[in-house]
Amino acid sequence: MAGGPDTPSVPEPSEGQSPRIGVDEWVASVEGRRDRGSGVTGYVRSELERVPRPAFYLAFGIAAALLPAFTSNGYVIRVGFNTLLYMLLALGLNIVVGYAGLLDLGYVAFYGFGAYGYAMLASPKFGIHWDTLAVIPVVVVATAILGFLVALPSRRLVGDYLAIVTLFFGQLFVTVYTNGERMSFLGFTRSYDVTGGPNGIPNVDNFNVFGHKIESLQAYFYVALVMFLAVLAAVYLVERSRTGRAWMSLREDPLAAELMGMPVNRLKLVAFAAGAAIAGLTGTVFAALNTAVFSADFDVPTLIIIYVILILGGAGTLGGVILGALVVNVSLEVLRTPGHATWVFYTLIVGTLVARLRPWRWLAAVVAGTIGLGFAVHAIVAATWSAGVDGQPAVGGILGSGLRHWVVLPASPRTIGNVAFIGLVFAVLLLTMLRGALRKVALIPTLYLTAFVWENRLVVEPSITRLILIGVILIVLMNARPQGLLGSQRVEIV
Amino acid sequence: MLRRVGLVAIVAAAAALAIVAAAAARPASPAAATVSCSKPVQIGMMAPITGPVSSIGDDQLHWAEFAVSRWNANKAHKVKLKLVQGDTQLQASLASTVAQSFASNGSLMGVIGPAGSDEVQAAGPILMKAGLAFASGSATRVSLTGGAFKGYFFRDVPNDGVQGPTDATYMTSKLGVKAGDTVMVVDDQESYSTGLADIVGPALTAKGITVDRESVSQKATDFSALVAKITSSVKVVFLPFQVASEAQLFAQQAQAQGKTAVIFGSDGTFDSKNFTAGNYVSFFAPDVTTIVADSSTVAAFNQQYPGGTSPFGAPNYVLVQMYGVAATAACKAGGGKLSRTSLRKAFATVSLPVTILGTPIKFNAAGDLAGAEFHIFKIVNGKYQTVQ
Amino acid sequence: MNWNLFLTELVSGVTHGSVYALIALGYSMVYGILKLLNFAHGDIYMVGSFIGFGLITVFGGAEALSTSIWLLLFLMFFCAMLGGGLLGVLIERFAYRRLRNAPRIAPLITALGVSFFLENAALLVLGAQYQSYNTFAWKGGELWRKGFTLPSGVHVALAQIIVVIGAIVLMVFLTLFVQRTQLGKAMRATSFDREAAAMMGIDVDRVIVATFFIGSALAGAAGVFNGLAYQQVWPYMGFQAGLYAFIAAVVGGIGNLPGAVVGGLVIGLAQAFSIGYISSTFSDAIVFAVLIVVMVVRPSGVLGRAAVQKV
Repeated sequence: MAGGPDTPSVPEPSEGQSPRIGVDEWVASVEGRRDRGSGVTGYVRSELERVPRPAFYLAFGIAAALLPAFTSNGYVIRVGFNTLLYMLLALGLNIVVGYAGLLDLGYVAFYGFGAYGYAMLASPKFGIHWDTLAVIPVVVVATAILGFLVALPSRRLVGDYLAIVTLFFGQLFVTVYTNGERMSFLGFTRSYDVTGGPNGIPNVDNFNVFGHKIESLQAYFYVALVMFLAVLAAVYLVERSRTGRAWMSLREDPLAAELMGMPVNRLKLVAFAAGAAIAGLTGTVFAALNTAVFSADFDVPTLIIIYVILILGGAGTLGGVILGALVVNVSLEVLRTPGHATWVFYTLIVGTLVARLRPWRWLAAVVAGTIGLGFAVHAIVAATWSAGVDGQPAVGGILGSGLRHWVVLPASPRTIGNVAFIGLVFAVLLLTMLRGALRKVALIPTLYLTAFVWENRLVVEPSITRLILIGVILIVLMNARPQGLLGSQRVEIV
Repeated sequence: MLRRVGLVAIVAAAAALAIVAAAAARPASPAAATVSCSKPVQIGMMAPITGPVSSIGDDQLHWAEFAVSRWNANKAHKVKLKLVQGDTQLQASLASTVAQSFASNGSLMGVIGPAGSDEVQAAGPILMKAGLAFASGSATRVSLTGGAFKGYFFRDVPNDGVQGPTDATYMTSKLGVKAGDTVMVVDDQESYSTGLADIVGPALTAKGITVDRESVSQKATDFSALVAKITSSVKVVFLPFQVASEAQLFAQQAQAQGKTAVIFGSDGTFDSKNFTAGNYVSFFAPDVTTIVADSSTVAAFNQQYPGGTSPFGAPNYVLVQMYGVAATAACKAGGGKLSRTSLRKAFATVSLPVTILGTPIKFNAAGDLAGAEFHIFKIVNGKYQTVQ
Repeated sequence: MNWNLFLTELVSGVTHGSVYALIALGYSMVYGILKLLNFAHGDIYMVGSFIGFGLITVFGGAEALSTSIWLLLFLMFFCAMLGGGLLGVLIERFAYRRLRNAPRIAPLITALGVSFFLENAALLVLGAQYQSYNTFAWKGGELWRKGFTLPSGVHVALAQIIVVIGAIVLMVFLTLFVQRTQLGKAMRATSFDREAAAMMGIDVDRVIVATFFIGSALAGAAGVFNGLAYQQVWPYMGFQAGLYAFIAAVVGGIGNLPGAVVGGLVIGLAQAFSIGYISSTFSDAIVFAVLIVVMVVRPSGVLGRAAVQKV
């Protein structure tokens, strides 16, 4: 057992008493010391360890609640709202994937069902305008029933077969709702416009509580926050209950769970229904703020983001849901702007160098070498081929003018940039295969090539670069920490 | 366990930092806030730059960037422009987020886009509330203009209400489709396509023509199964597709299966390089690549952005020009200062007699293209010939 | 009975199904050995397709081919398979190798990351526009004029024949390889039980690399086949194809190679017939509904064997 505050420490041998045979006290206590950490960090960690987890969730809740007080920038609040929605969705998916271990690839269909359900019950589409406090429970229960129905045929399925059936269901949902403006019952009845097809359902009502309309972005942010905290509290309590523990046993080893007497089928059904209910709830808030629903929002790309958030944060942990959503969604938005993306990019590179390149002599040598190589190459190119340095850097100011003299910026960078990009990919792969001093020396031209590709090709197309960077970050993070940021390492029984 | 705690502590610290940083962010710009015209005027561009419809959005973006660089390179233009891109992936929720980021950007004065009619529906209220004009080169749903977005939303392509009846009338009057014949209408499940199909279909049915309404996903790569359903009573197949090469594939597979029905494409398929196997295509302007006056422009574009183009691109070039003209006028009237309202009002009155599209571009009161009419082109030996 | 419609749908379904089957084979092979759902597989298919397109451009473009069709086809297949295989090996080496023993969901996300990277790198470098093989213009349309005609007037073109025969040839090679060669036997052993295979002296790393190479080469070939019959090439084509291939592999019984072929054909035929006979609008929905029923009736896939759970 690893040492910690609860493990009794090994007693030191008292003066004069001869050491016990076969026992090395120092070695025996090394686990405890290692886990405690050394110095200040170790002390801080062990103190934080004692804080119960709900305190962290509360701290997060307070921090999030203060956000609109600090800024009136609509974009920031909107991103905050989106992040909260993703947190809610990941929370629901966490029950299905993280607790019960069921791979549900159609989860986003429940989200869409909830959104469309709200839209159908509170918009001019069918002329129904129910009060919000009536619509939300109806939609949530309906989505839970849908989750239950989807789970019914899935009881016999395990692993990837379950994934496939749920994927089918998700695609079925999108297809039906995209073509739902011409639905007729097997061609026997006339066509009905049920879901608005690709035109969706516009003019959905805002939330309407006791006659009081909720219209501003800030108000929706708070609504989403309150919903999230409420669901978080509920899931936290469930995690600690019998059902939660039963789910975890189902995840770790379904066969053993069944032999231990867990009602495996019932657990699967309840997990699906609970996840679906949370997704339905999220859908209603989404529909109310956007005042329009379209089927394209509930397709595989959204599902991918929810999964990435969940796994990156650490499936099965609640803190991971919060952290994952913050990291992924905020990165996606921050990387949209070329200026911010440049700062993030260079900071990541410099940060990785500082963190991984030891000793300091090598770090200084690599940085100096890169800068020197850059100026040298720039001078050579400027002397021989004038069109090679005519371009403009993307950022202005001091950094921009520095970059202009350091990086080669051709006037028409597209083809050269593309070739350099492919070259850079291979260079980086080669770099990971080298070792020792050779690797550190090879870093220098690679770094310069990276700056070249960034300035010439990547920063010019920020929307594409954003996704390339996300892809690279995913690969690197999952390789470095497969259990997710806050997850714990598991051994999976296949 | 301990490291997990440490990570959460780090996150809390980062969140606190983020809050402080966000606190330093500028407040949202009201519509009347002014910027100085001596710095480049920022115009936002909302398009599906990545994602399944990226062939359209990427092209729109490139034409807009090309227009901005040419505008800025022209020494006669005192007011410079700068394009800020926002990738919406044709999803309405992302469009709302991007619209919010534009709205909160105090230096951003006008918007080009969104590209999809759904996105206009979703993002419109946000842009309106921020006082931004938004002009699209591809959102053609009829209900978008003259309604809630009046005065804010413009488009320099005609809406489906102009194209649909023109195409339907041509089929009945010139192509000899009579009552009792069948016309197959195939849409690609996107709102541009279904909107057009929903107008052409009933227009034909009203004349006693049977309409066989089919639908394929835009992601489909094989139409041979659908082509097999073209019977001998089908006189015309109408393809309001968004992607020209898909219409091309459909036409080629129809030919391979020996079908003799006339293949009629809409303006989404108007691409003299990619859609050459069909029989007819409609467009509201002459072919950009055949207008002699434009050949140098097109050549310069192809040099900078090789790989081909689409009919949705050139209208965005025109929109940038219009914003440039509007910004110049508003700056002059505002004494060197520009606000969103002044730009919007100037934009509504811009009239370009000569454009790369070969027709003059001007907005009517509802924000639609004034005097829009559709031309029909016949494809002969892979070349487009104007027939109406 | 409208034989014309029936046979056309049959031909269409078999052709399309062959392409799906090839991609699904690669999926199934990798899954069988590593239990990994390789979401980047569709993007390898896309890269193979682009390699073929690049070769067409090198030889003068579709309208003005400067060499014989057969030589061009051979080169396209060779290069696309080689390129696809190498790409698959690279991906395995740098993205998946460290995650061999991690819970299966971690390599899933890594595969998603690789997929994002490949799709958007292709978007960046190759541009977003659809490109076309335009086989209808090759040497005046030889590939589509030639062929044979079925009894009720249905013309089966040479291009479609090449796709189906080519897919069959590749599958036969694969089966012979897996059944008759040493490396094939090692692959089968490793997919059965990786640890035991290692203990028997099989170099598991080498086997995995070989699996990725072959599976990805098949995907590359499928890319060229797709371009041959369906013309279009663009950066996001792998997304949908990968999805269908995944479905085909699982429906046929994942890890099972003949099952992948059956699954691909089932999907191709189901699509063709539902478009032809029921409704093109809801054809996707119908295919999915049918497959749900299949999965519920046979939970391990059509040809899958119920795995014996070892305690």
